[in-house]
Amino acid sequence: MTADQPLISVQEVSKSFELKRTLSERFSGLPPRAVHALNGINLDIRRGETLGLVGESGCGKSTLARCLVRLYEVDGGRVWFEGRDIAGLSGTGLRAFNRRVQMIFQDPYSSLNPRMSVAQTLAEALNVHRMVPPGRVAARIAELLELVGLPQDAAGKHPHEFSGGQRQRIGIARALSVEPEVLVADELVSALDVSVQAQVVNLLLELQEKLDLTVVFVAHDLRLVRHVSHRVAVMYLGKVVEIGPTEELFRAPRHPYTQALLKAAPSLDPSQRSRKVAARGELPSPIDLPSGCLFNSRCAHVTAHCRAEVPRLEPRRGVHQVACLIDPSDRTDPS
Amino acid sequence: MTDLPADVPADAPARSARRRALPAALIGGTVILGLSLILAVFPSVFAPYDPLAFDYGAILQPPSPAHPMGTDNFGRDILSRVIHAYTIDMQIAVLGTIFPFVFGTAVGAIVGYLGGFAETIFGRIVDVVITFPFLVLVIAIVSVLGPGLANMYIAVGLVGWVFYGRIVAAEVKVQKQLDYADAGRVMGYTHSRIVFRHLLPNSITPAIVYWMTDMALIILLGSSLGYLGLGAQPPAAEWGVQIAEGKNFMTTAWWIAVFPGAAIVITGLGFSLLGDGLAEVLRARR
Repeated sequence: MTADQPLISVQEVSKSFELKRTLSERFSGLPPRAVHALNGINLDIRRGETLGLVGESGCGKSTLARCLVRLYEVDGGRVWFEGRDIAGLSGTGLRAFNRRVQMIFQDPYSSLNPRMSVAQTLAEALNVHRMVPPGRVAARIAELLELVGLPQDAAGKHPHEFSGGQRQRIGIARALSVEPEVLVADELVSALDVSVQAQVVNLLLELQEKLDLTVVFVAHDLRLVRHVSHRVAVMYLGKVVEIGPTEELFRAPRHPYTQALLKAAPSLDPSQRSRKVAARGELPSPIDLPSGCLFNSRCAHVTAHCRAEVPRLEPRRGVHQVACLIDPSDRTDPS
Repeated sequence: MTDLPADVPADAPARSARRRALPAALIGGTVILGLSLILAVFPSVFAPYDPLAFDYGAILQPPSPAHPMGTDNFGRDILSRVIHAYTIDMQIAVLGTIFPFVFGTAVGAIVGYLGGFAETIFGRIVDVVITFPFLVLVIAIVSVLGPGLANMYIAVGLVGWVFYGRIVAAEVKVQKQLDYADAGRVMGYTHSRIVFRHLLPNSITPAIVYWMTDMALIILLGSSLGYLGLGAQPPAAEWGVQIAEGKNFMTTAWWIAVFPGAAIVITGLGFSLLGDGLAEVLRARR
């Protein structure tokens, strides 16, 4: 494969979850309704980069993360890993994929088996994937604890003896035990106290540098994403509306939704504060999606065209890609 | 199947102190059942008389120093019969529940993990079984197979596993939603590893607690069947059989039925206490 070929390529991926129907709905013959979590996602993830995935809650970030590690099977479209469709993997191929693409979970309280000690949790992963010879397992566990900044006596302890931040470190150690190339971090620190968020995030950055990892960083905290990501993809209702290099995207957002999102982020500088409501209304229901551009119900610049045509993610000036029908340069910013 | 944290961290004195203090219920239950087990294994050591030996010189005697629990209408020593009955009744407690526990737990774990169609089928089986009163169903099966302990085990096995299955299935269903189950899948672990190594140890506690209660209930059931003549057969020393034998003498010789009854109560209490104690000790800390 060539150097500029993306490591992971997401093409037109969609995923929906069927809603349970009540008995009366079944008998009245209504078709099953579904939550459309992902509606045609296009995304490339390059080797060695950190890609930030941001959006409001319910925009499909976590669903996409779970599709990337094949916790969910996609309904439509494909996820390519090194040029192979991951939906077609099974047996040893799937296990090899699992080893190379790991995930860190959001909730440090439920992502560790409460009945297994740290050493047991790590040893299981090492043994199942035969990462080290049996005699080296204990030594490797010690190395992993050191790597994530946990004391050596953590090995014999159980998850309930640790704080949230320490548990996230254990989760990172577990993911790293199989020496993956890709790490999908789903809301890595959103369940943690602000005081420990920075420590855990900096650990991730440090490890990424040291181990040459490709990281998909899913978060709703824009400052955090700006801090860690090389590139950022902004999601809205199961679609990527804008994707580009972090600094460029934060400095000059093109999509009206990105602009609204950045404006809504709280700032400590009073001169930066805006009293204007950036995006009107609520997120539309992912069950009954709007026609045309999914953002048209909340966009300040909406035209009749926006309600009819679905915008495609296209390159604009710079290296940025935006999915919007109105050319941002023509637009007069109302604020 | 469940591993308790064996090591106590040096820097957590408060927690280790709490962990060392075993619940009183656990201690009480263990003592009662330990003594019951000793009686069950070595009845002849403790029983002063042969439980089956007739003594026509000492018929229907009230409790006395020679016969602390009195004698029955054949002059058999009640104390000796109660002690020898431990062998049969403890055996009923274990053999009557071990298959339902193991099989029901395994089925429940698999059903809870698979969900969907397997769960629907299992749910219907549960419905069918719990619609009939347990005792009626067991009596019906025993009457078809014929009376005796072996057929009672079969009857209880056919019906009893469903309850364990239902408990474990519900628990596994909750546990599999948690991220550690997903973490196992992302790690590429096999389904059986995720079910039996990760989900089951976190789901089995209610089944173990129910198992203890079930052992008490199964002794009652064994005694009920013994009383009805469908379980252990006379002249065997079994508490239910003894109570059945004593029922005609209730007004004149109450000791024939009362002492076996007390033995049932005490043993049942032992299992219940052990169940409560285990529930407290096995509760997963989060």
